[in-house]
Amino acid sequence: MTTVHGVALAALLDHPDWAEVAVLAPLPEPSPVVRAVSVVADLRSRPEQLPGHLLAVVVSGDRSDWRLDALLHRAAAAGARAVLLPTTEPLLRGSAALAARVRMPVLGSDAPLDAALAARALVAEGERYTAELVLRTTEACVRARAGVDGVLSAAGAVLGRPVALLDGSGSAVVGADLLDAPERAAVREAVGASAASARAAFRLELTGGAELLAHPVPTEQSDTRIWLAVRLPHRLPVESAAVAAALSVAAAVTGQQLSVRRLAVERDARSRASLLGELLHTPGEISTSTRRRALDAGWRLDGWHIGVQLDAGPDVDAVALRPDLVAALAEQGLDPVVVEQGDGWSVWTTVLREPEAAEIEAHAAAVRRAQRRLAPAVPTSVGVGRAHAGPLGLARTLGEAGEAARLAASRVPSGRFLHVDRLGLGQMLLAWTRTDTFQPAARSLLAPLQGQPGDLLQILTTYLDAESSVTETAAVLGIHRNTVATRVRRIQELLDIDLADPDERLALHLACRTTWTPQPAEEW
Amino acid sequence: MTTVRARDIDALVVGVSLLGSGGGGDASSFTHVLRQRLGDGEIVLHPPAALGDARTVPVGMVGATSVFAEKLPSGGELRSAVMAVARWTGEAPEAVMAVEAAGLNGVTALVAALDLGLPYLDADLTGRALPRLDQSTWAALGRPVAPAALCEPAGQTVVVADTDATGLERTLRAVLGEVGGWAGLALSAAPAHAAATDACTGTLGRALELGRAHGALRMMAESAEVAEAFGGRALADGRIYDITRHGTAAGYAGASVTVLDRCGAVVRLEAENEFLLALVDGEPVASCPDLLCVLDRRTARPLAVDAVRRGDEVLVVVLPAPPWWAEHGHLDLVGPSAFGLDCPPLLLGATS
Repeated sequence: MTTVHGVALAALLDHPDWAEVAVLAPLPEPSPVVRAVSVVADLRSRPEQLPGHLLAVVVSGDRSDWRLDALLHRAAAAGARAVLLPTTEPLLRGSAALAARVRMPVLGSDAPLDAALAARALVAEGERYTAELVLRTTEACVRARAGVDGVLSAAGAVLGRPVALLDGSGSAVVGADLLDAPERAAVREAVGASAASARAAFRLELTGGAELLAHPVPTEQSDTRIWLAVRLPHRLPVESAAVAAALSVAAAVTGQQLSVRRLAVERDARSRASLLGELLHTPGEISTSTRRRALDAGWRLDGWHIGVQLDAGPDVDAVALRPDLVAALAEQGLDPVVVEQGDGWSVWTTVLREPEAAEIEAHAAAVRRAQRRLAPAVPTSVGVGRAHAGPLGLARTLGEAGEAARLAASRVPSGRFLHVDRLGLGQMLLAWTRTDTFQPAARSLLAPLQGQPGDLLQILTTYLDAESSVTETAAVLGIHRNTVATRVRRIQELLDIDLADPDERLALHLACRTTWTPQPAEEW
Repeated sequence: MTTVRARDIDALVVGVSLLGSGGGGDASSFTHVLRQRLGDGEIVLHPPAALGDARTVPVGMVGATSVFAEKLPSGGELRSAVMAVARWTGEAPEAVMAVEAAGLNGVTALVAALDLGLPYLDADLTGRALPRLDQSTWAALGRPVAPAALCEPAGQTVVVADTDATGLERTLRAVLGEVGGWAGLALSAAPAHAAATDACTGTLGRALELGRAHGALRMMAESAEVAEAFGGRALADGRIYDITRHGTAAGYAGASVTVLDRCGAVVRLEAENEFLLALVDGEPVASCPDLLCVLDRRTARPLAVDAVRRGDEVLVVVLPAPPWWAEHGHLDLVGPSAFGLDCPPLLLGATS
């Protein structure tokens, strides 16, 4: 038996099992606390000791019967907290006046025995209530239709409370929004405070005596933190405990449903990526079986392709976010092939005849709008390739797009968007230097300049850009030319390099271009 | 020797209305008949011993006395009924008593005595207003009530013989339903001295005393003063908050009247023809056969069950029951359970 602390009558009235119970004589403030439930047959009953009880009359209860008044009197004298009648008709004025006089709340239900038993379960039989609720939740979740929505609505029906999936910010991912803005802030705080155990269940007191119960949903992605949450309008200890237990069951089922969906999605993603890999990396003629697989996937290898590469960074789950990207593109009227590739997506559009310049422009503009649309959820660097024909053309345009996307990552002013058609030859050349093999070499070449006073890297870059003119460099940087001359000498000493040697000079110029970038205008 | 003169009639009406306990019919509707019959004379209220063996006939109006206003009495109904019984038995009546000396019938028996030129025995079979003939002292004792005669205003006369009180009651109701609502009733005669034990004695005398006590009250008397003057107890002083009229198990029109006392108490009265049970804050505190009376707050005159209205300023008092019922062990016949209220009789002066 659970320790009985009592349940506020107002909390009982907000419980789904008491949805049919009407208030016939109003509750005093603060709400009376019920500690036990007594059931009597009819108005003639003469209960003796009812301290803290809810007295339920289950059979007869003619509202005009004088014995109703007598019962109210006896219930008050016996210490009862409330009387439940088997009718929902309003009390006679006289009886209502008496109820107010003896401060006895009167409730009514057409199913008084059910209401009384529900109240007893909630007040005094916590363990039984919990067991029953967990059992019913399990059954409902097992029978729920497939998908997370099915599990959520099944659990919600059993618990009689709104159920939702919340992310770390307290916003609903699936289901109704349970929280308002200040409450979401409280959830963020609660999640932040328990950062070490960010995947533990938590309970949060909300304003007005409400309560949020949240149980983490087990997922395979350690970075995905979602909770299955229920909002209870009143703190009702027995219900809280029971719902928390039921949530753990529902959360496990939800997690399983998520995994199932994830598996299917990942399988598709892997097959797309491998098919694209074959197309891009097979030299010469493409095999019949690969063509067949491309056909099955709905890819047209003939015709003209315009490739787009979207890089989202290593922390982004490209598989999970694919639907967001597809939706953003569809909003702009684009229906391209989207393949998850490493840190982002390879995307291309195929047309039958060679696209005109204006069409390519329009396509790039649409991609750019999609990129902006997606930015709040997933910031990306986007590169767009030129139009190329045939299977080999697909590899070329995606290659160009990839290079452009890498270059775009450093181009904040252009919105991290680059279209190869607009790139100068020099920039393309530069882009090729920004490869994973060249960059470490460039950094080590310039390493001696790091940490030296006078921002030597900037002076060197500007000096080389200015055709080794000290005067021009001084003008660009706004410093005295003697300073420039001194610094350039010091740079040559530190790097042990002769700037008169064309090879060394070229290598150094490329290294400067690769490593030194202007300070970004804004952080994203 | 107690006598009634024309100047006593107002007091008598208040008194019999108090004994009516909210029912019994409106006595004032018949007072002009009594006033006219009395003239300058008087009528003596004889105690049983004074009339010795005189054959005494109980009389009274039965049925829906509220129909009086539409269907006027000819004045001779009771006289015809008495004569019908006399013809059936072959014995001339020598005195008249009331079937029920409360409400309307507190006055009608006096009129019958004056009409017949017979002495009036101050005794009756109820001691207060009661709705049914089987709720009478004779019925309680098993004394025969038949042969009895019923005479309706159009002159039709029905004699009922060889039956008991319950049978007579049943026949009465059947006839009354057919003849237009009300009729004069005379029961079989009994020696006057037997009334000392077989009937409630001195009822009209008590009514006169109550009426005179009322006459001595000032306007807007306090509830305690009023209760003391009537020899009873005050239950409430307040305003009628709610009236619900509904059917009862017995088929009568029932009513629940709630009075909010000015001190906050919620006083509920359960009623049929009469007020039967009083609850203060849900606790039953008084019941029939004690006389539950709702009085006009200003004049302290009793109000009938069907005359009270929401918003009326009233006093609620309870007066002692006629002692015969408790003395002879027949409270069950007139207590709340006789009206389908499962509550023991709650009487003034009872130890519980």
